[in-house]
Amino acid sequence: MLLDFDKLGVLRGFLVGLTMLVCLFLILPIVFIAALSFGSSQWLIFPPPSWTFKWYEELFADSRWFYSALTSLKIAAIVTVFSVIIGFLAALGLNRGRFLGRDILRALFLTPMILPVVVLAVALYAVFLRLGLAGTTFAFVIAHLLIALPFSIISIGNALEGFDRSIEDAAILCGANPWEARLRVTVPAISHGIFGAAVFSFLASWDEVVLAIFMASPTLQTLPVKIWSTLRQDLTPVIAAASTLLIAFTILLMVLAALFRKGKKS
Amino acid sequence: MTQAFLSIRGIRKVYGPVTAVENVTMDIGEGEFMTFLGPSGSGKSTTLYILAGFQDPSDGDILLRGKSILATPSHKRSIGMVFQRYTLFPHLSVGENVAFPLRIRRRPQTEIAERVKAALKLVRLEGFEDRKPALLSGGQQQRVALARALVYNPPVLLMDEPLSALDKKLREEIQFEIRRIHQETGVTILYVTHDQEEALRLSDRIAVFSQGEIDQIGTGPELYANPTTRFVAGFIGDSNFIDADVVASSAGKAQLSLPGGVVVDGVPLHGKVAKGRASLLLRPERIELEAGTLVGQLTGTVRDITFLGNNIHVMVEPSGIAPISVRLPFGHSALSGLSPGTKVSMSFNPADSHAFC
Repeated sequence: MLLDFDKLGVLRGFLVGLTMLVCLFLILPIVFIAALSFGSSQWLIFPPPSWTFKWYEELFADSRWFYSALTSLKIAAIVTVFSVIIGFLAALGLNRGRFLGRDILRALFLTPMILPVVVLAVALYAVFLRLGLAGTTFAFVIAHLLIALPFSIISIGNALEGFDRSIEDAAILCGANPWEARLRVTVPAISHGIFGAAVFSFLASWDEVVLAIFMASPTLQTLPVKIWSTLRQDLTPVIAAASTLLIAFTILLMVLAALFRKGKKS
Repeated sequence: MTQAFLSIRGIRKVYGPVTAVENVTMDIGEGEFMTFLGPSGSGKSTTLYILAGFQDPSDGDILLRGKSILATPSHKRSIGMVFQRYTLFPHLSVGENVAFPLRIRRRPQTEIAERVKAALKLVRLEGFEDRKPALLSGGQQQRVALARALVYNPPVLLMDEPLSALDKKLREEIQFEIRRIHQETGVTILYVTHDQEEALRLSDRIAVFSQGEIDQIGTGPELYANPTTRFVAGFIGDSNFIDADVVASSAGKAQLSLPGGVVVDGVPLHGKVAKGRASLLLRPERIELEAGTLVGQLTGTVRDITFLGNNIHVMVEPSGIAPISVRLPFGHSALSGLSPGTKVSMSFNPADSHAFC
């Protein structure tokens, strides 16, 4: 290979150093936030003068935090279900269909990934306002579904690409009708893609803040929105505590996903 | 005429401007092993896929026991099929793969267990029930696929080049297994291959496909001894072709003029036009050699002599035309004194040769 790691010489040390710097840059803020959430300083002084669980007690004492977490969970769960179902159908159509405008349609499905989220947010807000749906769970789910779908379509699409359609044909000749064959053979065979789609869809909604700010109402606030609005009122370490829990949950989910994949392979 | 078990009538398949299959017609008897033989793109696989119901013919009909199956969707045709690629369901064990068609049919659990066991026994894979397909060799995977395709006793088994992904030795081993399974089960098999040796080894009858049409249907020996087109003659067995002119013809026999002024009479003639240019087929083992240049016979120079065990291959180069290969049994008297550079004359019985216009 042209770029063989073992033959890079001096460049090798440079690359290792650079990679470590990038990793530090990515991880340090998280460590920083987590440390602050256990720090005793009201003013988020670093390094913390002493350690405390005070901010977590305050967080759990305020039921609004709990409800916003519940709202996040609920919306992310609904988004995940629909994102996987619609993503599977869309990927199937894009993968198998031979129709005019297929490539344009594929690009269209993926545009939410490259479109500035704030533009999407303003546009959606205007539409939902006009339809009288602003501030409803329905609008919230639709908005998050838009940004979650590309992840599903890419993940499931890739899995379908690597799936030999003859296997589905074999199931049909075995007596399964086409949808039975897809559900009993194709879906299990591409389960890694579907699982990936579910994890990424969930995360896309779970920690999304821009669309959420526009879709939120005083009674419908997801955790990131709650963090944002609290932050605007005053800077309290409770936010650091909430953020730390948000991150912890996200990491837990990623680890579970990795473990699931590993178990699947062996 | 008695009703055929499986009757393919005038099947035609057109993709836009391309005709993939044209007027494919044949009757297949119950329990028969019929092979579709032809090069890639000759329409043999398309015909098989039409039988499976994955493609609709543009024209024609397919009757199973006298009833058209074209309106029946694939999953209700109850036809078995083994594919060119490995198609075991990756998430299911071998046992569950074979059980799949029965589970779809909601057969009772005890019956499923019994039939899966019998099917795996048939393909000699007893005890493999709990393995995952990924842990099997290619040959084993195709045998499981065979068990899965036979477990629901389909009236017809389709096989689309099932051995093409396997190496030669394994291929021969599984060909033998397929023959045994055909004899044991008596299932009607339609088998697609581009390998003439495989076709000859397995089949009761062979349909030779060329450019979307069937050139000829017959048993292996029939196709070899009496090919009706130049394509069949070239595809089945080794052959020499010599350009010739038709001098006269009557009742399917022709008088031909060969290069070098040689004239032969009484050659079976095939083709629509019975005059003009023709191709003369000479099988390598039907040619006699004699040292020296004899008048009235094809003559040439020996280029090469190859020992092939039970027979000897002699390459003769006549002047002005392509080399002719001759096969003589080991120890044949004509071989004595033969060496590269020797002038020889070639003779043959016109009735053993064929001319194609």
